[in-house]
Amino acid sequence: MTDTLERKTLTREQLLDAYRTMRAIREFEERVHREFATGEIPGFVHLYAGEEASAAGVCLTLDERDTIASTHRGHGHCIAKGVHVGEMMAEIYGRKTGSCHGKGGSMHIADLSKGMLGANGIVGGGPPLICGTALAAKIKGTGGVSVAFFGDGGSNQGTTLESMNLACVWNLPAIFIAENNGYAESTASAWSVASDNIADRAAGFGMPGVIVDGFDFFAVYEAASEAIAQARRGGGPTLIEMKFTRYFGHFEGDQQTYRADEVEHARSELDCLERFAARVTETGELSQADLDAIDADIATVIDAAVDEAKAAPLPTEADLLTDVYVRY
Amino acid sequence: MGDAVVGVVANPLSGRDIRRLVTQASVFPTAEKASMIQRMLTAFQAVGVDRVLLSTDLGGISAAVLRAIGQRRSQGIRLPEVEFLDGQPIRQTARDTVDAVRRMVDAGARVVVCLGGDGTARVAATAIGDAAMLPLSTGTNNVFPVVREATIAGLAAGLVATGAVPAESATTRAKLLEARAGGRAETALVDVAVSTERHVGARAVWDPATLTQVFCAFAEPDAIGLSSILGQLAPVGRGEPRGVLARIAAGAPRRVLAPIAPGLVVPVGVTQIEQMVPGTAYPIEARAGVIAVDGERELTFGPRDQPTVRLRTDGPRCVDVPAVMAVSARLGLLVPDPAGTEPAAVQPPTV
Repeated sequence: MTDTLERKTLTREQLLDAYRTMRAIREFEERVHREFATGEIPGFVHLYAGEEASAAGVCLTLDERDTIASTHRGHGHCIAKGVHVGEMMAEIYGRKTGSCHGKGGSMHIADLSKGMLGANGIVGGGPPLICGTALAAKIKGTGGVSVAFFGDGGSNQGTTLESMNLACVWNLPAIFIAENNGYAESTASAWSVASDNIADRAAGFGMPGVIVDGFDFFAVYEAASEAIAQARRGGGPTLIEMKFTRYFGHFEGDQQTYRADEVEHARSELDCLERFAARVTETGELSQADLDAIDADIATVIDAAVDEAKAAPLPTEADLLTDVYVRY
Repeated sequence: MGDAVVGVVANPLSGRDIRRLVTQASVFPTAEKASMIQRMLTAFQAVGVDRVLLSTDLGGISAAVLRAIGQRRSQGIRLPEVEFLDGQPIRQTARDTVDAVRRMVDAGARVVVCLGGDGTARVAATAIGDAAMLPLSTGTNNVFPVVREATIAGLAAGLVATGAVPAESATTRAKLLEARAGGRAETALVDVAVSTERHVGARAVWDPATLTQVFCAFAEPDAIGLSSILGQLAPVGRGEPRGVLARIAAGAPRRVLAPIAPGLVVPVGVTQIEQMVPGTAYPIEARAGVIAVDGERELTFGPRDQPTVRLRTDGPRCVDVPAVMAVSARLGLLVPDPAGTEPAAVQPPTV
């Protein structure tokens, strides 16, 4: 069991990195929330605020060999995997300078150069993709790991279950992260997930399944880093279920008549950023000044991202058919 | 309505933590937890329990039991009156267990059956007061809860709740460890361990290299978990009025192979073993770290907190299942009356 003893205490740089990622996601989402209300952003946006510890805690252990597949609620995963925040904002505004040249929008942000296979408008669309990249990593022997994030709604899709089966049969370096925020759109997961805990399904495939407090960065990091290390060594897939709450509606404009006081409770008692800040300042690992400096820097980055996105050109008719097809 | 009341609290999250990933620990399915409650209901009915109070949860246990009760009643199967303790927000934290146990005790439950692991029993014990608890294993690390068929646990809990078996003859008082750091306190039923990890994180402790001290209310030679470190070196029984503590150091020459978690048998270096006397506050020597209670990191501390651990002998009263069933045998509680009156246990269901 020496393999479980390799986990190192997080360095100062890693802690700063984790906080920066979570703060960037929160600031990005709260800004998109405000900007969307002005009517300037086309299409739909689904915000990740509240769930930051999941993306940050999982992606902190990943490197350039690794790939992730995301969901329609994908901004947090993109930021955590290193996609350029300015290009993301431009993409959401539908601008030519966006990650996908303004033709994808919020639900299709992708950056293969960063190992980000894409946000995905198809519920349960991500897990099959990572079976492909994980198989490639296994065959090429790169040591790369692939991670699929999906929601409680996605957990009920055949694609997700088939992917778990395939990943186990082929013993792929694939990690399945079920982000259970309690609702598939407005349908409660307590009602719609037959096994109640998504993690319980892992046993049926013969892989480990664990439940993690998704509001706690350190809990997420510990579970994810163990699972990723195991997958890199050839130990195969793991299913990790994060339990938490999203702070905003399913989409911007959702009236949220299906839930009561849980967001208020989560924001005041469980918030991942507040808890992280309290912990690291209590232990003396980081100072309040360290955190304040990141907050100020991120505010500037997001301001600039919005300003640049608004000023950037829209795609033209001539761009309509470019980047759409790939010649093999 | 009679006053033989039993409570059953089931933790929907027991048996789900990171130990399934790092040590191949067992998975205890929700469906089995619900089935255990149903088997207990059958036993409660057999021994004349009037009312059963059940905890509610978002993990699917109470919902499955509710469905099953409806189906069984529609088939004419007699069951005790069952009341689900709903009406309070479910936070999916340990507070749900504490609230449920408190409500059961307030509503007159003489016995509360707790389905979970050591963590669940530990939390339930804080709210149990003078009622008796029967911790039944559905968790990862099970030193305190018994691994036992729910039907028998149900019979024993029922016989105590109805008064057929006097509580004083069939319950034992457990010990407690009280860990204090600054103004905060946590109790443990089995062990308190000090880890140099900085954060509560995924809670479980599975890396012996991080341990500096371990305190045990009892340490049995056949234990699983952190108390197993002393179970082989300096065993202490559940009923003995003392505890035991030790310093842990990775490089110590004296080592014991200890099953510190399911699926994890590791060498642990032990430098100094001492007896624990009830009431004395023993200092935690590390300057900073995390205190784990019954194997789960709970309390972080720093140099100013002056953490201590104290052994107490006023822990929860626990139902001793073999003792209850032995009294039952002696009194013939489950044996038909020769005059022809059947005991409750063998009455056919009313269809």
